[in-house]
Amino acid sequence: MNAALLTFDFVLLAGLLGVAWRCLASTDLFRAVVLFITFGLLLAIAWVRLEAPDIALAEAAIGAGITGALLLVTLERLKHIMNRPRTDTDHDPAPPPDPVASDADAPGAAPTGDAASRAADAGNAALSCAPAPARGRWITLVVTVGLAGLLMATLATQEHDPGLQPTVAEHMDVSGVDHGITAVLLNFRSWDTLLELAMVLLAGLGAWSLGRHDALPARPTPGPVLPGAVRLLLPVAIVTGVYLLWAGSHAPGGAFQAGAVLGAAGILVSLARPHELPDPDPRLLRIGVTAGALLFLAIGLWGLFAGPALLTWPSELAYPLILIIETGATLSIALTLVALFIGGRSPREDT
Amino acid sequence: MIADLLTTVLVLAGLAFFAAGTLGLLRFPDVYTRLHALTKADNLGLGLVVLGLMLQAEGPAMIFKLALIWVLVLAAGATAAHMVAQRTWTHGEFERRE
Repeated sequence: MNAALLTFDFVLLAGLLGVAWRCLASTDLFRAVVLFITFGLLLAIAWVRLEAPDIALAEAAIGAGITGALLLVTLERLKHIMNRPRTDTDHDPAPPPDPVASDADAPGAAPTGDAASRAADAGNAALSCAPAPARGRWITLVVTVGLAGLLMATLATQEHDPGLQPTVAEHMDVSGVDHGITAVLLNFRSWDTLLELAMVLLAGLGAWSLGRHDALPARPTPGPVLPGAVRLLLPVAIVTGVYLLWAGSHAPGGAFQAGAVLGAAGILVSLARPHELPDPDPRLLRIGVTAGALLFLAIGLWGLFAGPALLTWPSELAYPLILIIETGATLSIALTLVALFIGGRSPREDT
Repeated sequence: MIADLLTTVLVLAGLAFFAAGTLGLLRFPDVYTRLHALTKADNLGLGLVVLGLMLQAEGPAMIFKLALIWVLVLAAGATAAHMVAQRTWTHGEFERRE
């Protein structure tokens, strides 16, 4: 049994290294993105083998799923931008290519004419990066081997250290929850989680500050299959997201995983039926995007004045407070991820 | 004991279907035949694996979760296969850029 597991681990490791290498060495960016998603899924299995199901969930949902979707949509937009003719009056963006009427390699927005086709060629060339020049390779190899040797030496000489596990287990009764990871994330080290939420908020604000979003460059395939599948999958995704949020108090799960699942559901909807979706009320959207960080900060400040200290909660109130914070965080993370996918403010806000 | 044996047989049979589907993906000439090999063989393979794991499940909740996983993968796989096929039908196959 042990030998079988060891073999599995080695195959997994070899797969991880191989996929990582192919991803970095690929000259085709689309292939690199697909390999990156594969790498994320393999990494999730590796986290399961390391008995860290929380990180495995987060890696599969955020690392492979949402990041993969973001990279794919970025690539699609990049192609569209690179193929656009360069003119002096570049304030009027060309309409997104209509894939039904055009071929994959000759989008409808691609201009006709000599200069324009040269620009398109340059754009496509920039999207498939050339391999690195050969002269740095030996130095890279030496540095890599040296670093790997140092890491292995460190691992070999390190004593087995339980870390902070006993300390956390000792104080579980005051944390308000039954799951060690959640206790650390939302009670013992809530400062870190607050900063993570602030990072998510900053990413969303950064995308919004870059401008309004154009229509998505790709239209969904016609036919009833995709809307039907979305109708089937959406309720399941919402139930799964809420379940993950709820399970976080006693089992693997929590705000980030739940937010990623709900965000993925939102991305699916925005991909499947972009024409029928009305823009959300901008004020409500802003409240939703900032709710996680602001609620967290408000409750943390309340702890400074009414409780023990900043970002700490009295143990009898810990459970409801953590639940409120996690709910707000889930909402914000899900909304921000969808906003990042759509990219940019809603056009309606400027009018 | 019989359950263990059945699990082994079912999971191994499922893996054989996965292997056949992967072989088809690698060896078949165009998008449609590859989709055919992948989705049909993998859906059945996953069904067999799930059935084998159900025999080892601890309770009805676990059995239900395993069945749910299979149904969701069936739906997602069928949708993705349809979209890839539709895209290939309207746009032609992706060209290899080497």
